[in-house]
Amino acid sequence: MKKDDIISDEQLSAFTDGELESDEENRIFTLSEQCPELDARLCQQRKIKEMVQHAYRDVPEPRRRDKRAGPRGSLFSLAAAAVLALAVGLAGGWFASRSLEAGSAAAAVAPASRDTWLLHVSTSDPVRMQRALDRAEELMTGGGASSNRQVEIVANEAGLNLLRSDTTPFAERIRALAEQDVLFFACNRAIERLQERGVEVRLVPEANTHYSALDRVVHRMQQGWTYEKI
Amino acid sequence: MGILSGINQKRLFRTILTNNRERLYRMAFSWTHDPALADDLVQQTCYQALRKQRHLRDIEAADAWLFRILANCLTDHHRARREVLSGDELLMVEKWTPEHATQEDQIAQRVRKAVAALPLAHRQVVTLVDLEGFSYASVAQILDIPVGTVMSRLSRGRRALRDHLLDFAAKSGMDVPAKVRRIK
Repeated sequence: MKKDDIISDEQLSAFTDGELESDEENRIFTLSEQCPELDARLCQQRKIKEMVQHAYRDVPEPRRRDKRAGPRGSLFSLAAAAVLALAVGLAGGWFASRSLEAGSAAAAVAPASRDTWLLHVSTSDPVRMQRALDRAEELMTGGGASSNRQVEIVANEAGLNLLRSDTTPFAERIRALAEQDVLFFACNRAIERLQERGVEVRLVPEANTHYSALDRVVHRMQQGWTYEKI
Repeated sequence: MGILSGINQKRLFRTILTNNRERLYRMAFSWTHDPALADDLVQQTCYQALRKQRHLRDIEAADAWLFRILANCLTDHHRARREVLSGDELLMVEKWTPEHATQEDQIAQRVRKAVAALPLAHRQVVTLVDLEGFSYASVAQILDIPVGTVMSRLSRGRRALRDHLLDFAAKSGMDVPAKVRRIK
């Protein structure tokens, strides 16, 4: 092989990935036929690429835990959610089904309408917590409220304090809003993070949990719910 | 007309997001090798994408845009944990144990281990190209680096993988092309 014909690793990678111009690609093909060492290097490049693809063809699923404790957590709704999750799972695989988990029974049963609201609290600032509750109350009882209006409050990060029985200053208001069918969801990931730090987490009885608040927010936004970050 | 078009765009965007979740998760897993963290990153990515969708001007570019958000979410995660991200210097914490190895395909485990040992900057380039088939130009956009840097990181990443893996591949009898051929 002449010195001019030495092919760099960058060129070999580009060749393997189909990133070279046609004439350059031809040149490498021709050289590889004349030079066993170059041919071996090209084979190695392809082998590495194939090994990486093979290694991530199937990846482990994340572990998820949900618990439903709220007023709408009846056996019927859990069963309906399970049936729906199974049906969607069969049709669309794990990633399609994972958003229809126990905690989202109401959404799974009822088609999304425009009168659906998701309020998201991620701060422990009591003023913002109160604002979230005021907003929920306004939506449920204020002008324009309709009987099919749905409101959920999702709490994660420091906002979890809103739904912790030992930290919330608003237990009574939460109870009153839950009686008006406002749903409350605490983020299980946030709970787990606190527990890892040795914090015992107890939620108010009205709180449901979802394995991830963000997943619930994304799911609702995709269903067309109006989202408000408080 | 404009409203209808806007609604259709939103629906299309939601479909794209749903269809990309599995791909985003696989990529996040290949960067972190931690299922829970990968899941968090994908949720964060979807959340940000939904909130920023009006910034996406070309729906055709949605794939690369989503992976760019994912890359930024990982950077933010490291930043929040005050981990210094100096690209080439960051090495992944090894999390595998022999118990895991018995449960999964041995070759895949070995390769993942080698990929995990790459500096994050190399790992991201290798996986974006090899797993998703992104062009070098797209990878440059996703990671906000020059194409030349993509090429050098890819080359160095593959060289490190080759040093880790080829001996193992030969012993395990992995099927490899005997010779490079032109195929029309």
